[in-house]
Formats: sequence, C-alpha cells, structure tokens
Amino acid sequence: MKINIDDRRYPEQLRKIHNPPKQLYLKGNKKLLDTIGIAIIGSRCCTQYGEKMARKFSKELSLYGITIISGMAKGIDSFAHIGSIETTGNTIAIIPSGFNNIYPKENIKLYNEIIQNNGLVITEYDENEKATSNRFLERNRIVSGLAIATLVIEGGTRSGTSVTAELTKKQEKNVFCVPSNLENSKGITPNKLIKEGAFLVTEVEDIISKYPEINLKKIKIKKCKDNSISEEYKEIFDIINNEKEIHINDIAKKLKLDINEISYKLMMLELEDKIVSLPGNNYRIK
Amino acid sequence: MLAKRITTILPDLTFEEALEVTKIHSISGMTDNDIGIITKRPFRSPHHTISPTSMIGGGVIPKPGEISLAHNGVLFLDELPEFNRNTLEVLRGPLEDRNVTISRLYSKVVYPANFMLVTSMNPCPCGYYGSIEKECKCSKLAIEKYLNRISGPLLDRIDLHVEVKPVKYQKLNSGNKVESSKQIKERVNNARRIQYLRYKDLNIFSNAELTPKMIEKYCVLNEECKKILELAFNKLGLSARAYGRILKVARTIADLDGSNNIQKQHLAEAIQYRSLDRKYGDKF
Repeated sequence: MKINIDDRRYPEQLRKIHNPPKQLYLKGNKKLLDTIGIAIIGSRCCTQYGEKMARKFSKELSLYGITIISGMAKGIDSFAHIGSIETTGNTIAIIPSGFNNIYPKENIKLYNEIIQNNGLVITEYDENEKATSNRFLERNRIVSGLAIATLVIEGGTRSGTSVTAELTKKQEKNVFCVPSNLENSKGITPNKLIKEGAFLVTEVEDIISKYPEINLKKIKIKKCKDNSISEEYKEIFDIINNEKEIHINDIAKKLKLDINEISYKLMMLELEDKIVSLPGNNYRIK
Repeated sequence: MLAKRITTILPDLTFEEALEVTKIHSISGMTDNDIGIITKRPFRSPHHTISPTSMIGGGVIPKPGEISLAHNGVLFLDELPEFNRNTLEVLRGPLEDRNVTISRLYSKVVYPANFMLVTSMNPCPCGYYGSIEKECKCSKLAIEKYLNRISGPLLDRIDLHVEVKPVKYQKLNSGNKVESSKQIKERVNNARRIQYLRYKDLNIFSNAELTPKMIEKYCVLNEECKKILELAFNKLGLSARAYGRILKVARTIADLDGSNNIQKQHLAEAIQYRSLDRKYGDKF
C-alpha cells in the first residue's frame, strides 16, 4: 500500500520533520502508524552485551505497549525487532530499499516474521529500488521521525547510529543511551552522547518516567504456568522458569540427575516450544 | 586433554581390525619390530598446518595419509577453524565412504579410512561467546566469520556436538568421584558386543557402518518416536543426511542402554547432540 504525504493517514509525527518522505510504501499492520513508538538503534556488528541490552529493552518497552521502531539491519536492529516479536509486542521496520529487494538478504526471514506477527514494514522507495549507502542515512530520518524518542544501544565512531541520534536531537526529541564499557569499541557513540547530555538509561522506567502525559500501563505477562507440560518434564521446566539463564550442568546439579536424562528432557521441552537453547549449553524460557 | 583420553574408552580391537591397522602402519614403515601386531587403537592428531595431501595420502607411489593411519582409531583435529579449508573439505568423501581412492600416474590405491573424527574449537575468536561468567568481546560479524570457516556439509557429518564450560580451579582438584575410564570402557565393550552379534552376517562391525537399507531394518522407530523426529526435522531444519545419522546415534545410545528398541529418550538425546545445527544453524 502506498500513502502520499498529503494523505490523511500519513503519520503526523513524520510530517513535522525537516524533509519528510513524499510517499511511504507499507506492508503489514497499518494501524501501528498511530501508536506510540520508540526507536532502538545501534551497531550492525554488535557485541554480546549489545545483543542482550537490545533484547532486554525491546522486551520491556513492549510490555509497556510501546511500538519498537528500527531499521531491520543486522545486529542491534534485528535484536530489537526480535525482542518485540517474542513478547508479542508491536514493531515497525523501516528498510532502505524496495520490497522486492529486501536488505540485508539474511533478514528476509525476519521480514516475514515481522509481517506475520502483526508488525509493519515501511519504505519510501519503489518496490524495485536497491539499497545504496546514502539510503541507509535517508532511512534513519524516518526511524527517528516516527518515534517519540530514540534509544541508542551500541555504535562505533562515525556510525549511522550517531547520525540517527543527531537527527533525533534536531527533531527536538529525547535521546536515551545504554552506557557501555570504556574498552568496548562499540560503546563510543552511546558514551559520547551521554557526555553531551543524552539521558543515561539503566532501566526501562528511566525512559517511561519522562513521558507522564502518555498513559502507559505495564501489561503484566503471566509467568508461564503451563498445564500442558507433562509431569515428566515439569521439574526441569520449573527450574528454568525460575532463572534467567541456566547452564545444563547446573540443572543436573540441582536435580541430581544424569546429564543424558536431562538432555533428553530438555530436547523434548525445546521441541514443544517451551524453552530455548542458547550458545554454550544454556537454556531459558521461551 | 579431554580428547586424548578418548582412546582409553574405545572398545578393544578385534583380531581382524588389528590386522588392518598393522598392515597400514607396516607399509608406512611405522611398526615396531619388537611388538609386531598393533593391539591399541591409533590416535592421530596432526597439526593444523597439515596439507590436503598428507591428510588423505599421496606421493608418486601413494602412501597412506593421516586418515588411513587413523583407521579403526581416532583422528583428532584440534582448533578446527584454524585448518586450511581445502584440508578439511577433502575429509568429506572419506567420512562417508570410509575409504579413500588415490590416483597417481603409475598407480591407483584404495586405502581404508574408517576413523572416528574428533575435533575441538572455540565458540568465537575470543573464546567466551555464550559464557555466563565472562563477557564475549567479539562482534557478531567476527563470530560469523569464525564459524563460517567450517562448511555446513562437514558439520553435517559430525554426529555429536557438545558445548563445554571452562573448568574452574576448584574442580580440577576436587575429590569428586566420577565414572572411571575403565567402567566406561566396559559399557562400550558391551554395546560393541551387541552390535557385533547383531551384524555378524552382514560383514560389518558397528552401527556407524549401516547402509540406508540396513537402517530401515535395524533402526525401527515406534509411532511416538516418529512423531518426535518429524517435529524435530520441521523445527530444527535438519538435513537429509542428518536423518540417517541421528538414527544411527539413537541406535547406539539404545545399545549402551541395553535396550532392544529405540525409545523416545534415546532418540531425543541423539537429536540433542546436533546442537550446532540447532543454535548456530543460520551461520553455517
């Protein structure tokens, strides 16, 4: 679907920016244009810390009913979208190319997932247009333009991330930053932004409290109390349910069971979509 | 350290196997005159700078390479991603056929290469990806590049993937008693005996050598197991090659358990061992 700038459905937020796109092509749930969104941006080659933070804040913001806006690039962008999808939140992806040339190709799977999960994908380019380097920067103005604020997770020097943060400031919106380790080369942008006066964020409430005028209520997700789990696997499931992330050896220690028995039960739980296995033989609840 | 210990739990060589091993070592000039027949399973661990030719064998008159010297034993490749890509890719054929054909101008030789491939690697360049205790400092791109050095088809031929935690100091000298190699070896020998008796008319020794037709006959799954396997395939995106391999592993786990049929716990454990396909699937 295409909407022009003079269309009634064109998002008001976006019309206000310095150079709004003349038209938008949409795919997915158009209602999301009227929701309150926060942009989560960051480096394409992020660290493990960046991944964790992107998922965490995306999930927690989603629980407040906020739409997560990002660029569907590799790295932080992807994890922001994934975090939102996993909590059945709303998410908008803005891509730097037409719908026939999804960029990056690796994320076509994510693209389909966003649309299937009631998300929205936006581009200002005709369907056959390809992604070029200047389009990444052009795309960033829409990311910050649609959002009421921007959360910066990780970014190196002279990165697209810092450009988006600058755009956000120019659009007179708040920039929030997750601080990083000083030795982390991907932490330069957020730390620099903090030094220049951006808000430092350690928990999601730091962001929420800045917007009292918006009626935000945290949706409580029931802790998985699944009756569909058979008695056989219940014990293990409960242990994982109580922890954020747990190693298979620690489960074995707690239950005093053989590792092969546990690994078979974990496999069954994984197949039943109750838990996820992480690198390093760690497990968490889905 | 862990990999070196693997020979201590391997089943004893049968007489036929011992003869084969001795023959190969003999033509390579590696036999010991005092001992005569080789009774221990060979353990070969070539350095990662090894060339493809010395891996599979070669020369004007082809000599056996590392894979043939490891026949009926273990070929251990430490730090797998450091190996030359070509050197690793030449393993594909022998891993499937269990022998290698070397053609040169004056001769053509088929050497047996029925070895167990054991390899080790780090999860990422810094070695801490996935660790809870210590933060990994590698970028996603760096991790992807590192894992990409191992091709999907090669990974597909590796049946058991186990991720291990770094060992803490306290554990190194804690007095905790665990199953000793001797006890494990006994279990392995028992499982081998079951297989030996089961396949004695077929001219093979172990589950690993089962052909697709034999798999149909000896790795029968009940309805419940069939459902689990179907679910696993759709969810984890396993390859067709993985199918036969999972069944063989499940058969072996059942043998170790002393069970006549493959039960669901055996199958699930076998699937669980394909963890790299599951977790890093998109990266390979």
